Formats: sequence, C-alpha cells, structure tokens
Amino acid sequence: MDLTNKKLILERKHKKVYESNDCIIKSFSKEHPKSDVFNEALNQARIEETGLNVPKVLAVEEMDGGWAIIMLKKNGKTLKEIMESDKENIRKYMDMFVDIQLDINSKSSPLLNRMNLKFGRQINELKELSATIRYELLTRLDGMKKHTKICHGDFNPSNVLIGDDGEISIIDWSHATQGNAAADAANTYLLFALEDKELADMYMDIYCKKSDTAKQYVQKWLSIVAAQRLSKHVETEKELLMQYIDVVDYL
Amino acid sequence: MADKNFIVDSIDNLSIKMKELREAQREFASYSQEQVDKIFYEVAMAANKARFLLAKMAVEETGMGVLEDKVIKNHYAAEYIYNAYKDTKTCGVIEEDKIFGIKKIAEPIGVIAAVIPTTNPTSTAIFKILLALKTRNAIIISPHPRAKDCTNYTAKMLLEKAVEAGAPKGIIGWIDVPSLELTNEVMHEADIILATGGPGMVKSAYSSGKPAIGVGAGNTPVIIDETADIKMAVNSIIHSKTFDNGMICASEQSVTVPDSIYNEVKKEFAYRGCYFLKKDELDKVRKTIIIGGSLNAKIVGQSAFKIAEMAGVSVPENTKILIGEVESVDISEEFAHEKLSPVLAMYKAKTFDEAIAKAERLVADGGYGHTSAIYIDVNQKEKLAIHEKAMKTCRILVNTPAAHGGIGDLYNFKLAPSLTLGCGSWGGNSVSENVGVKHLINIKTVAQRRENMLWLRTPEKVYFKRGCLPVALDELGNIMHKKRAFIVTDTFLYKNGYTEVITNKLDEMGIRYTCFYDVTPDPTLQCAREGVKAMTSFEPDVIIALGGGSAMDAAKIMWVMYEHPEVNFEDMAMDFMDIRKRVYTFPKMGQKAYFVAVPTSSGTGSEVTPFAIITDADTGIKWPIADYEILPNMAIVDVDNMMDQPKGLTAASGIDVLTHALEAYVSIMATDYTDGLALRAMKLVFDYLPSAYENGSGDPIAREKMADASCLAGMAFANAFLGVNHSMAHKLGAFHHIAHGLANAVILTRVMRYNAVDVPTKMGTFPQYDYPKAKARYIEAARYCGVTGKNDDEIFENFINKIEELKRIIGVKETIALYGVEEKYFLDTLDEMSEQAFNDQCTAANPRYPLISEIKELYLDAYYGR
Repeated sequence: MDLTNKKLILERKHKKVYESNDCIIKSFSKEHPKSDVFNEALNQARIEETGLNVPKVLAVEEMDGGWAIIMLKKNGKTLKEIMESDKENIRKYMDMFVDIQLDINSKSSPLLNRMNLKFGRQINELKELSATIRYELLTRLDGMKKHTKICHGDFNPSNVLIGDDGEISIIDWSHATQGNAAADAANTYLLFALEDKELADMYMDIYCKKSDTAKQYVQKWLSIVAAQRLSKHVETEKELLMQYIDVVDYL
Repeated sequence: MADKNFIVDSIDNLSIKMKELREAQREFASYSQEQVDKIFYEVAMAANKARFLLAKMAVEETGMGVLEDKVIKNHYAAEYIYNAYKDTKTCGVIEEDKIFGIKKIAEPIGVIAAVIPTTNPTSTAIFKILLALKTRNAIIISPHPRAKDCTNYTAKMLLEKAVEAGAPKGIIGWIDVPSLELTNEVMHEADIILATGGPGMVKSAYSSGKPAIGVGAGNTPVIIDETADIKMAVNSIIHSKTFDNGMICASEQSVTVPDSIYNEVKKEFAYRGCYFLKKDELDKVRKTIIIGGSLNAKIVGQSAFKIAEMAGVSVPENTKILIGEVESVDISEEFAHEKLSPVLAMYKAKTFDEAIAKAERLVADGGYGHTSAIYIDVNQKEKLAIHEKAMKTCRILVNTPAAHGGIGDLYNFKLAPSLTLGCGSWGGNSVSENVGVKHLINIKTVAQRRENMLWLRTPEKVYFKRGCLPVALDELGNIMHKKRAFIVTDTFLYKNGYTEVITNKLDEMGIRYTCFYDVTPDPTLQCAREGVKAMTSFEPDVIIALGGGSAMDAAKIMWVMYEHPEVNFEDMAMDFMDIRKRVYTFPKMGQKAYFVAVPTSSGTGSEVTPFAIITDADTGIKWPIADYEILPNMAIVDVDNMMDQPKGLTAASGIDVLTHALEAYVSIMATDYTDGLALRAMKLVFDYLPSAYENGSGDPIAREKMADASCLAGMAFANAFLGVNHSMAHKLGAFHHIAHGLANAVILTRVMRYNAVDVPTKMGTFPQYDYPKAKARYIEAARYCGVTGKNDDEIFENFINKIEELKRIIGVKETIALYGVEEKYFLDTLDEMSEQAFNDQCTAANPRYPLISEIKELYLDAYYGR
C-alpha cells in the first residue's frame, strides 16, 4: 500500500477519489455516515470472496476528518471508453459486456443485502411520487420473484475495466445486492436508455437472448428500477423516468 | 372503539379493527336466515339508491371511466346480486336428505379481506359487501389509494344501513389510509381473501398463506366468423368496448376477422364511429399506450379522443374506439396487450384455424383463464367445438358483448352474476367460476351411518327332486321354443351315458344339439377356447352344462366367450370390495343363449353361483371370475345324476358343502335370507353325509339330501360369499395339489377357532357387520345342528368336536403333512402362499380381517397338527 503521490482523479459531492502508485483511495466527506463507508467496504469484500475479479479492499481508515476506503488499483481502460473509440465493433463489446454481467449474476453471496428490501425502502422514501404510484410500485415489487443472484446495481460500461493484457475487472460495488437478475438487467437498460435508446435496445436484445429470458420479464422491472433511479434526483432524467414509472399492472 | 376519530392507518390500529370485526362476526354467526335476508335486502336497497352518487364520486376521484356506465355497474351490483341470492339458503341447514342420512350445514368463514380495484371502486365494494352479509361474514375493505374515498364511503354507508337493519356494529371495516403494508397485513389476518387486482396483487394474496379467491388479467380475444351477423357482432363489440371506457377486465382487446368479410366488418366499425389508425398514427398510439412493456396508467379508462390527443393523433371528438390494424400477436406488439381503454387491435386471418391460433396466443400471453368470445352462426357446431377446445379461458362467450357477458346474468341467464371472475388454475386462481356466495361459506356435511341395499340373487329357476331332469328340460322346447342346444360335459359322463337323458328329451322336442365332452378337471382356458369354437359354429340358443364344478365352470366361461368374444380375462378377474362398485363392468349375458346347469356331484353348488375358475395352461394363472351375469338361468338338481359318485368324491365334496355353509353363515355379508339356506345346508350335511359316504346309492335319500344341501349352500355363499378358509384352501390346492374339499377340511376347525374371538386383531369392513360376532354365530349354528352344552364355550367346543368326528368318519386327514406335502417345500412356499391367500377374493368377507402373519401361523399349525 503506497499512498505517496496520490492525485485527485474524481470529485463528487460527498467523495473524492485519489489514485496513487498502486492504490485507489475513495475518501468520503465528514457528513457521510461512517456505517455507509464500512458497509460499502464490506460489500466489496463479500464480492471479492466470490472469486469475481474486483479491486481488493486493503483498509478503511480516517482521512481528512471523514472515512476512506483504500483498495488495490486495477489498471486498464473502461469499456465505455473502448466502446466509444471503436464504434464499428460495438456489438462485440456489448456481447462481452453481457457475458460479464451474466457471470456476476451466476454468483451468490448469502449475506449481501436483499434487493427487494432495499428497493422497497427506496420507493417508500420517494416523496415526490404520489401514494397511489408508490402503492402500485410496491405491489408490483412484492409480486416479483425473489432470487439470490448477485446484482451489481450500477452495471454499465464505465464500471468495467479492460487491462492491456485483456484482464477484465469490475469496479464500484456500492450498490450491490442479491436478488433478481432481471432487475439488474432492467437497471442497465435504463442507464443506457438515459443516454442512447438504440444502444439500450441492442443491450436488451443481447441480454435476453444470452440469458434466455423473456423481454417482458425484464420490462416488468423497468418501473421499479426507474423509481429507484429517481431517488438520485438528477433533474434532466426526471421526465423520462416518470414515463416509465407511471404504468399499471393489469387491473 | 368509541372514538369517532379512530382510523385505520397503521398496523396497530388495524389489529384493533380486526379484533372488532372478529367480535362482530362471532355475533353475526348466530343470526338466522330471516335476520340475514332482511339485512341483505336493506343493504341492497341502499346501494341501489346510492348508485348515482357513488358513480359520480368514483369518476371524480379516479378521473377514469364514464359516469353513466358506472351507474349501471352499481345498479347491477346491487340489483343482480340481490336477485340472484335472495332465496339462496346460506345459514344453518341448507340441504337435507333424510333417506340417505346426509345433511349440509352452511357456516360463515369469518373475516373476508376484500381488495377493491380502482377500475370498479364502488360496484366491487357493493358486490363484495353484499356477498359477505348474505353469508354472515365480516368484511374488511382494502381500497386502492387512487379510489379510497369513494370505496370507503360506500363501505361506511352500507355499514350504517346494515346496522340499522340489525347487523352487529362493526361488521364492515375498511383501511382509511391504504398502503401495501396494511393490505398485506389484512390478507394475513383475514380468514379468506377476495382479491380483485393485477397479477401483483393476486400473487400477494396467494402468498399470504390464507385461502384466496383472486382474479387476474384478461386479454379477451374475439373472433368474428364469416357466418356471423356482422352488424350485431360489430355493434356488440363497440357497446362492450366503450362501456366505462373499456375498464371491465372481460372487455374485448382484439378482434380477428377472416379475409372474406374483413372489409365489410371494417366498414361497419367505421360507420359506427370507430377510428382506424393510419400507419404513422399507429406508432404514435403504440408509444402512448404501452411504455417499457407496461400499460401507461394515464390512458386507463380514458376516452378514445383523449388517448388520441395524448398520442398526437387528431380524431373526431365523438370517436368510439381507436382501432389498430396490426399483424403480430406477440407481446412485443403493443396492441396485443390488455389496454383497459377503448383501444382495440384488429387482425386479419386467412382461415378459421388461423383466427383460432391467434386467439390462443393472445390468451396465452395475457389472459390465461379469463374470457374469450366468438361471433358466429350457432349452427356452426364444428367451429364452435374447435373454439371451445382451444380457448384456455373460464368463460367462452358466443355472440355476446364480452364486458356485459362475462359478468353474468345480463346477456345470458345461467352464468352467475359477479364482479369477481375466477380464472381457474390457468390464471393462478382457486376458483374457475364467477365468484358467488357459495365460495364464502364452509359447508359441514353431517353423514349418518347407513347400510347399503343388500340382495339375494339366485337362478330364475331352481328345479329339484329325483328324476326331475327331463321334466325340467321340457320347458326349453315347449315354453321357450329353443332350437339349438349345446351340451358341455366331461368324457367320463359322456361315455357312461349320462347325457342320454338330456339328448333323448331334446330329440323328443325336436331340438338340435351337439355335445362338447372334453372338459378336464381344473378346466383350462385352452379347453374353453376349443368349446367356444364349436359353439360359435353351432350357434346354440341354449347351453346345458352337465357335470361337477369343472364342467359347469368351463361351460360358464365358454358362454361368456361365445356371447362376448372381445372380453379380456384379466379385466373380468378384477377383485372387488363391493361387487356393485367394481372397477370393471361385466358384459351383459344371455343375449345369445340361455344357460342350464345340471350338477352331477353334490359339492360346488356351481349350478347356483356366479363364480367360475379357469386356468390358463400357458401361464399357469388361475382366473377366478365372479359376477351375477354368469349366474345360470336354470339349475336342475336331479340326484339320479349323482348316485354313483365314488366315495372319495362324496367325502371331499360333502365337506366342501359344510365349509360353504359355515363360511357363508359367519360372513360379514350374511343376511337373514342366506342364514336360512346356510343353516339348513349344514344340518343336512351332519345328518346325511355319513350315510351317503358309507352307503352311496344304497341310501338314495341321503344322496338326495346331500344334493339339496350342496345347492342350498351354493345359494347362501352366492350372496353372502365365503371367507379366509376358502382363501387358504385355494392356495393349498394351487401350491400343493390337495383336492379342494379336503384342503378346506384340513384347516376348517382351526379357522373357526381363529374367527371365534370377541377381540380380533381387525374386524371385516362392512357397515352391517357392526361388532365381532363370529363366535356367537358359530354357537347359533351349533344349536341349530343339535349341539348342546352347559354354556356357550362348551357348545362351541362340542361343535368343533362334531365337525372333527364327521371328518374322521369320512376319512379326512388330520394335518397338511399327512397329505404328503414335503416339509421343506411347504416352508419354502409358505410366505408366498400366505400372501396370496390374504389377497384372495374370499378373504374380504371373512368376519375377522386377517393379518398375513396370522394366516401363516394357521398354515403352520395345520401342517404340524399343533
């Protein structure tokens, strides 16, 4: 663990990410709850134990008055960068992307947070949705099959690193849960759709084919993951998300 | 709950409310039918009167549907439900059959959790409350948040009316501030769930662990056949699809029309104000109605005009339905979904089969178990049958607007009126009918002990007396006018002229005959087939069996095969618990030939029994055939045919008669009718067998009495059946070749001792056999046969001694070993023999139901004489 020469590579409201020679330091602000930081480190440790190739957690320690997670650095370009620079082969990359997701889904980690509980909590807290819509969403969530597959929770090409030697690693496990893989796919679809509908549809086709899942089975989750996404309060996404959210199950 | 401001908005308050509902329901459970009917009437009246106000509230609160149509729904829920159930018994004894001792008593279930949808927020509430009140249940309403005010208002108003009419206070409850948590809690706490809602809600209901009557999604496909009345079809569809802006779950979602009438149908739709979407408009509407594979909540229950406007399509304001002419029935086609609005998919089909295939797919993807419809000339029976078979829906409507037809009693008369339509297991429901009061009561059936009818069956004619054979045969010619007789007998009898009395008489009457005389002892199937061959070519109208059990059994089998060449022996040999309920139904006999049985030995009684045993020589399997169909039509007991029986036969068949009589007398199926026959038979055996054995034809009276005894015992066991003595003897014969009568005799008194206990391990099962009484029956028989003693036990012992003495006189050996059965072979086969004896048909009627281990002990005792 060599923290010398650390340089800031990303800054968000509640966190700063530094890079050193061989480490990544995720440093959270003073206001960020200590338990959240430990929880994220714990999540990541659990994922590590499944054998997936993820950054190894080295330490959680106090830093600049808040708490920080220090982990081993993974080298490589993000799949997002690669996809953008080599558009001709985009289908090939999408294939690879889906394969990685299915590999994640094939693993289990019995102590990881439960997806349905987390989603339920998040929907309940969404006060900008009317009681009726929340009721519909919770009813729908309640009726979904409860699996125990590992779901990344924010699986998109910017969280996949491809090393020079082709080594694939997956980063940012702060939203990981165990639950229904179709929800994770719906979430990924939505992340694509917020930027590029065509790419989103390509993803959906490939995912459904490879996983032998019916499209409507994934689509059933769209309203739920859209509501969950809404809790991030990104103003520009709101209109599109609301469209996905205000649907009804057959009455 | 005195507090007027008490509301159900939390788990704690809900549990207080549930407690109150339970208390109210306990009181309600004691109400009489009259009290309940009065409440039912008053509440139905109140709901009816409030129909307009409630409709208005529903439309205002939900912003969905059509006020005028909602009035009809409320009206329907009040009036049709009242009318359908006003005279239905739902309290106490609802059905009674005194003759069969069956009574049905209706009891309430308890607290019903009623989940009310936003599409029918007041009518469904009225419907469920009326059903609950009629069945003496309490009900708690879980409204949809979008419609909670109008739903809860309905509940509150009807509660007031119910209480005014005498119902317990608090018999109806509701959730004031609905949430999924409270809905789930209600479903957990209630006794039964009446859930109306989408798949999510129905799933929650079923996973609550309480019995649920839930309904699911519909995706009603309609087919208009080329034989349909197009004007009626199109206008019915429009009528139904526009009703409450298409919010009834049975509403049409697609219509499939054959090529040949497509344009005509389209013209009629257009003429009646429906709008056909143009190409670019189709896509706009697609994107508006379905978002990410789910139905856009904003279009539900809206008008065609408003939906078009939302999609950016301009249509006339009075447009009735938006029709999309589409091709795919796959779920990726937005129009193929359930739309809950006046938006309809229209498909073109080249053939009727293609239309059916499309409808099948639409049902599979969105509406398993719900409703389907067809418009067709009802004389097209074949097409209707194809449609009925293909649709996995619990309602199949013919020439009927689906929304109005599915809810029942409006466009049809025997479909129950209901706003909760069961979708069967296809839709994940426990009910496949329209839900009604019968689904909300528990029915207790009180069944009193009854004994089934018994019988006495004998040949229609039993003739007896020495020398009666030609006299009896006279009937065949002079009364029945038979033309062709087929005689079955064995070689010995044939060669020694026993058939002559018969053939002379037949000659005299001009009846042509032929004789089959190759029957061997233990007759085989192969031998019977030979006989049938001859019979089939001779075509007799009367069969005369002359001989001992073998000839009569063989003739019975030939008779069956002659009349029914197609029968399978394995089927006919099927055992039974009650001969009337046997799995196999025996073919009708006597259509080709009349059957006459003339015994030449006094033992089997086969001339008056419905039994025959035949051996398949190829496999060695013995097929015991038992059915009253093979009961001979005429039995002629003429001792002239029996005079010269050898001594051994007299002994073996004589003791067989005694066993028949004793077993029939203690059988669980013995009746007063068979008792007389059995008692007389056994007394005759005791009195005459010794002399018949000693003197043979020298004592013709004894011979004749034994012939009568054999026939009497035969009639007794033909009706009361036998017991484990015969089961065991059958296997001694099969495994160790001991003659049947002797096999019976060697175990007889041991089996009697075994049966004669007041505390058997198990008792035989037959309702008229009410307690173990074999011992008392033996003693009764003993007294009849002249046995005396100072008490019952002594009489029983003396009876055993009397039988043992008889056995000695006629030379029956003491043990199985003495019959030359080798010890090792006996022990090697013992387990198999015991199991087979247990499984023998005769075991069923034994008064003591034997364990296999007990049979084994009996065999061992009889082998070693211990």
